[in-house]
Amino acid sequence: MLFPTLSFGLFFLVVFTIVWAANGSNEWRKILLLVASWVFYGAWDWRFVALLIGSALLNWGAAELIWYQRDSPAGRRRAIMIAGIAGNLLILGFFKYYGFFVEQLGDLLRGFGYARDLPLMQVVLPVGISFFTFQGMSYLADVHAERLAPARLLDVTLLMSFFPHLVAGPIVRGSDLLPQFEESPRLTRDMAAIGLVLIVWGLFKKAVVASELSTGLVDPVFFDPAAHSRIDLLAAAYGYAVQIYCDFSAYSDMAIGIAALLGYRFPLNFNQPYRAASLQDFWRRWHISLSSWLRDYLYIGALGGSRKGFARQCLNLMVTMLLGGTWHGAKWTFVIWGGLHGGVLAIERIWDRIRPRGLPRLPRLLGILITFHVVLVGWIFFRAESFDAAIAFLRGIGRAGPASMVLTPLACLLILFGMVIHFTPADLGQRLALWLRLFPAWALGLLVGVTILIVDVMRFEGVAPFIYYQF
Amino acid sequence: MPQETPSPIDLPEPERDESGLGWAFGVILIASLFLLFANAASLRDWIDDQPPSPAQARAAELADQWVGITEAFGIGLPRKTMHAQWKRAEQARFPGQKTEGAEGSLAQ
Repeated sequence: MLFPTLSFGLFFLVVFTIVWAANGSNEWRKILLLVASWVFYGAWDWRFVALLIGSALLNWGAAELIWYQRDSPAGRRRAIMIAGIAGNLLILGFFKYYGFFVEQLGDLLRGFGYARDLPLMQVVLPVGISFFTFQGMSYLADVHAERLAPARLLDVTLLMSFFPHLVAGPIVRGSDLLPQFEESPRLTRDMAAIGLVLIVWGLFKKAVVASELSTGLVDPVFFDPAAHSRIDLLAAAYGYAVQIYCDFSAYSDMAIGIAALLGYRFPLNFNQPYRAASLQDFWRRWHISLSSWLRDYLYIGALGGSRKGFARQCLNLMVTMLLGGTWHGAKWTFVIWGGLHGGVLAIERIWDRIRPRGLPRLPRLLGILITFHVVLVGWIFFRAESFDAAIAFLRGIGRAGPASMVLTPLACLLILFGMVIHFTPADLGQRLALWLRLFPAWALGLLVGVTILIVDVMRFEGVAPFIYYQF
Repeated sequence: MPQETPSPIDLPEPERDESGLGWAFGVILIASLFLLFANAASLRDWIDDQPPSPAQARAAELADQWVGITEAFGIGLPRKTMHAQWKRAEQARFPGQKTEGAEGSLAQ
């Protein structure tokens, strides 16, 4: 069930009505939200609902054990946390990486002359598994560090299953959402106004900008780079940068807006990432819930951050970004993407240290241009089917070729639009909501209806799944 | 959620101290009714895409009739006009530009 479809729209109308009707009892409200979340997830495959429940039980049980042992030696509590995290990683590893590792092992054994028939299986990847397992792991780490008290089974299950963030984030941490589950929420005009703004804005970015660029430009060019001109390749690279931003940030916007209409506050996930003047700045603006998760639980929590010297800090950055790349999937192109980001982040740190004192800093505009193009090269690896395909794409940019065939004036306009929105005031949506909250319901209802109608006539026939569903 | 965790739903001015539930219901209801009239073709297409069953067949029949009514009153006209404009924008090419289809037909 995709957000920008009528199926989801009707589902949400029912959920919105029932959940607010049950607002007198917070328990019933949460139970209804949980059932709605399972219906939402079950629309992909009912079997995975059992996995979701199993994962919630694992994390709830491990957190209870950690808390129960809080007067015991620290080593025992740590062992329970590690066992819980290992359980999450096993689930993630089996569904996401089993095929990849067996394939790599087979290649390795063949290389050494020990060809074997390994137990290959076609494992179906449950949608959103990377998101809910990461959420479970951070919950355990927070309970272990006593940043969070263990929550009841209903709350933990709802935390992991709550449908707005379930399949593509943001990764909402227990410390952000569990306290909100403790009492019935209240829907203010402000929340409703900004929720509607975010939903309609997300709908436009996904259904019009991302879908149009994907079907008309990016997909055909990445499918066969050799058949396209240099201009098409360049346009597809820029187009993909805009597409992935409009696709993923649209999902986050809609998730945050839907949660707001249900009375819950989700964290910011994107903050105009292409106006970043360094890669470090980029990661404070792109997929913030993942980058802050990696920073807090992996880079600082597990690896020690900068506490063990400068060389170790650079190594930690590299390891964090390589694992961040692998989080996206079992493909070497994601590893290279992570390695590129980790390497440039380390180079930025090193340059900060060795930069002669008298040397002026780069002008901000130049920093933005350089950062954006580093990110752009990374996106080529991220999007390409294989390492060879990415190299062929980059080589194609360097050679002269036939005239452009797929780049259209509309695609140019959408790419330009996708870049320009990064340089508008960051709080434009909030300012719009402040204005809209003064409207009478009938006027805003008409405005929302007209806007959705305009988006619907501009959308490509059918809606492609969000890019981040595969992760 | 701790207030130090930023969220786009935090507005930069003090909150109006009034419930938004009835207001939000009103907005959603009006928007839904508007789309039911002005975008009836989307509803029909969605019903047509559902798995076949007696209920689906009946719903498809009703949706066809509904589209007929909205078209008879000209309510569906803005949708059709805007869609045609958008299709023209999609098909626009730079002066002298060949399309992939044209290239394919030359090769044949």
